[in-house]
Amino acid sequence: MIEDFGKPVVLLANNGFVADAQSAASSKGMPGIRIVGESVACESTVISEIEKGVAAVMKDVIEALTRPLTPEEKSPKQPTGKTPRVAFKGTLQEVNQFFYRKGWTDGLPIIPPTEEAVAEMMTGTDLPPDHIITTIIPRKGKATIEKIAVNAVMAGALPTYMPVLIATVQALADPKTRFDTFEVSTGSWAPFLAINGRIRRDININCSSGALSPGDIANAAIGRAVGLIVKNIGGARKAVEDMGVIGNPGKYSLVIGEDEEASPWEPLSVERGFTKEDNTVTVFFPNTFIQTVPGGTDAKGILDTLAGMTNSTMSSIILIPSWAQVLSNEGYTKQKVKEYLAQHAKPYTSSVVPSTAASPPKMDLDKSLMILVAGGPGSFIGLLRSAGPGFFENALVTKKIDLPKNWNRLVAKYKNLIPNYEKY
Amino acid sequence: MNRYLLALFIGLFAVMAIRGLSMAQGAGSSEPKRPDIQFEVLSPWADVDPIPFRGISPRIPTLAGKKIGLFVNPKRAAMPIAESIDRRLKAMYPDVQTIVFRSFGANVNEIETENKERFTAWAKGLDAVIAVVGD
Repeated sequence: MIEDFGKPVVLLANNGFVADAQSAASSKGMPGIRIVGESVACESTVISEIEKGVAAVMKDVIEALTRPLTPEEKSPKQPTGKTPRVAFKGTLQEVNQFFYRKGWTDGLPIIPPTEEAVAEMMTGTDLPPDHIITTIIPRKGKATIEKIAVNAVMAGALPTYMPVLIATVQALADPKTRFDTFEVSTGSWAPFLAINGRIRRDININCSSGALSPGDIANAAIGRAVGLIVKNIGGARKAVEDMGVIGNPGKYSLVIGEDEEASPWEPLSVERGFTKEDNTVTVFFPNTFIQTVPGGTDAKGILDTLAGMTNSTMSSIILIPSWAQVLSNEGYTKQKVKEYLAQHAKPYTSSVVPSTAASPPKMDLDKSLMILVAGGPGSFIGLLRSAGPGFFENALVTKKIDLPKNWNRLVAKYKNLIPNYEKY
Repeated sequence: MNRYLLALFIGLFAVMAIRGLSMAQGAGSSEPKRPDIQFEVLSPWADVDPIPFRGISPRIPTLAGKKIGLFVNPKRAAMPIAESIDRRLKAMYPDVQTIVFRSFGANVNEIETENKERFTAWAKGLDAVIAVVGD
């Protein structure tokens, strides 16, 4: 921070970002940073509006650099960093209202994280409760096994989801995801998790019809738990630190498994350097989800439709098994599909983000394009699009999911929890 | 008389039985049955290793004759805002100097980038800084 050079600083930010700036300053150990809120529309380049907004705060800016420090600004009260382990005692309704008022939920009711429920959740790992997987930014909260489990219980997760949650937290901690930017960005990016390996079937992750729709505990609760972990362990709270402008329903959950059994190609996990026996989670942060039917039903028709949807930004194509089979029958591997798209997709250009590059970034096949075979009968193709890798220097990140010793017993205990829809 | 008492007893018994059934079902009572199970719940809010809070730097008495840094982030509004501030400062303090540092990275700490030396030299040579984020 510039203040660390012993220089007085004033930060000029839009009024809507003052709380965000205060949290950022506190998380860097300098809560007293002087911030002046201004009313210029965010990112506006209309000079008359800028002149009006700056004129209104110029006096405050100068005062922030010249007004002597208060005792609190010179020597701020030190935080303890500790949180009482037991948060509350009450009825189901009282617990829910307490958690909601504290800003700890996602707006939906939660399952009370009692000592017993959290202990049962932790049977999903061999790691001890106080083991710290990582710290999660921006608050740098300690992601202990117990805190992950508490948030998992709240989300309605089963103990068999713990290995996925732990691996996902490890992925978020990988700087290549650029989680630090995506979790709090105005762009409302949501974590997308693609699961590979036997664990998909063990915990009933939907890879087929409506995989990204509500209705399956694993797809729903894993994503929900990740959202609560980001909020309650990372401290990224909506409109305080998470400054997503429009927001994104994908922040409730964007979890899918690859339908490896129906795919003619090698699984995503193998493509990314793991074995077919490994369980993995691959993570990136899209904010756009589009679906369309291909213009033609042969390989060229499918590929040209994909090329029209894709550009050089980080993306995941969700290809239903039947279209993957068409492509495979005409000799296309995943790699060849990617090469076709790299050749035919429009390069991404931005008039918004200043670039130091001489030419638009080319599609980086390994870092930024994921082809996932999933979805049910029908003809739609899906595409989730993120930003980068150019400006954000981000990459797809895949982590291995480690299973506990008691895995088979756990699976036997929870695997039969599936919906049985009655005919009508 | 005995027949009357017997009828009264049977009537009262029937009323009590029906009421008991209704209460068990949670219906017919003005006060709904309240769930009184208590849940003692653990906090989802994480502990942190507290970062020792530092005080901010002493202020300067005036901007007159000072070197003021204008830190400009990549947002497109940041530079025009900085230019407006620059013009206004120079109108108010004719002998003020301003030096701009433009940051192009997304959410980066310049001290941890390849710009470290340039950033450090810029910061050290100043009397105060106005940071413009364009949001």
